[in-house]
Amino acid sequence: MTTIIPFGPQHPVLPEPVSLKLEIDNDVVVGVLPSLGYVHRGLETFINTKDFNQTTYVCERICGICSALHGITYTRAVEKLFDTEIPERAQYIRVIVGELNRLHSHLLWLGLFADGFGFESLFYECWKYREEVLDVAERICGNRVIHSISKVGGVTKDLTKEHIDMLLKMCDSLEPEIKNVEKVFVNNYTVKQRLVGLATMSKQVAYEAGTAGPTLRGSGNAIDVRETADWDIYKDLGFKTAVEKDGDCYARTKVRITELLNSLTIIRNAISKMPDGEIETRIKGFPTGEAIMRTEQPRGEVVYYVKGNGTKKLERLKVRTPTFANIPSLLLMLPGVKLADVPIVVLTIDPCVSCTER
Amino acid sequence: MMGMLNLVLTNISRKPATRLYPFEIREPFKEFKGRIVFNPENCILCGLCQKKCPPDAITVTKANKTWELNVFRCIMCTECVKGCPKGCLSVSNERAKTGAKEFIKIAVPIVDKPKAPKAAPSK
Repeated sequence: MTTIIPFGPQHPVLPEPVSLKLEIDNDVVVGVLPSLGYVHRGLETFINTKDFNQTTYVCERICGICSALHGITYTRAVEKLFDTEIPERAQYIRVIVGELNRLHSHLLWLGLFADGFGFESLFYECWKYREEVLDVAERICGNRVIHSISKVGGVTKDLTKEHIDMLLKMCDSLEPEIKNVEKVFVNNYTVKQRLVGLATMSKQVAYEAGTAGPTLRGSGNAIDVRETADWDIYKDLGFKTAVEKDGDCYARTKVRITELLNSLTIIRNAISKMPDGEIETRIKGFPTGEAIMRTEQPRGEVVYYVKGNGTKKLERLKVRTPTFANIPSLLLMLPGVKLADVPIVVLTIDPCVSCTER
Repeated sequence: MMGMLNLVLTNISRKPATRLYPFEIREPFKEFKGRIVFNPENCILCGLCQKKCPPDAITVTKANKTWELNVFRCIMCTECVKGCPKGCLSVSNERAKTGAKEFIKIAVPIVDKPKAPKAAPSK
């Protein structure tokens, strides 16, 4: 006999509301029915009242954790609409801020995940390291979470020598700290008992379900938009996609930790290769036509579609966020999992509900 | 086991990672975008800040000669600061005070300056 148990919309492990109706048979999940729409804000329609420059600020507020990458993807999409190249220095600054975003997002997730399986001291440790990243972001951009660094045609702020020294210092101090955290996540007996073999998804299933980001790479698919899409700058930054073959919660955690170390490498290389010069190209006129842009966010690939109609306002903005792509895989992972492990499996896709519902 | 002992000793000997807020307040970074400061002296009531403001937080009324900022709406994007042709607006790294009624709207009257007398044409 099966029982229906509601999981969410308010749950201690969920920072945002998502509701799952779990069909339980003898303490094991046999079916899942998701329900979304609690924090829908209608931002895609709201942009009809703002011009295409102001829309950058709207897009940054789609998600608080990957705000800079939302803004960067939107501005890159509009620049594609205008068929404009922005200065190389501006692109490097975008990459650096984007990686800072990834660092603080992954550290936040690792903390929440540790809290999810009851390891509170590890949670505090991860969030303590996240503070270092946020302080650097605050000094570069003026804000801790909503960075507002990108604008149509370039970036709003330049990196000074002081900022660069600070970034390098942060990379040097953060690397041993992340390696310490990695030791606990990878070697700790309790963590391994909770995560190894939990909610396994094969390479083929992950690919066919349209999964994105670390969830996809944890199942052995070496697909990262930073390598494959048309943002050439990443190809020179000594970056190698983090892949794990096992496809379980443990593999997804390891992918995220490797990505933290990758981000530090990318920041260091970007600083060493960053040229001098302008940070902005002046863009005039009103956009026409349509464009699509993809970027790798901490949670996975985000897709922006913009359509201009020759006025100062965009006719259409459509966003496909990584969590939206990961929900089908979550529904495939949950059947067969014990009820006590459901929070861990839900957290393992790093759900961002405000992104998904916009 | 030895690694854990090392960690325990380090944690005993070092300072706490947190501050005793509100007795100990961190100095804001100089780049921090805290609040918008309006200097009414040079304002010509052009309304460009109002046009550029994404959340419509600024209201410029030409009839009453006032400049208003709704602090609760402001998202600190500083578009108004960049757009002001006379440099009346700037960013301060002090946090905006919130919660008090008088801070919901800050209306600044703009007083006409006496016009400088025209120089006599040189002969």
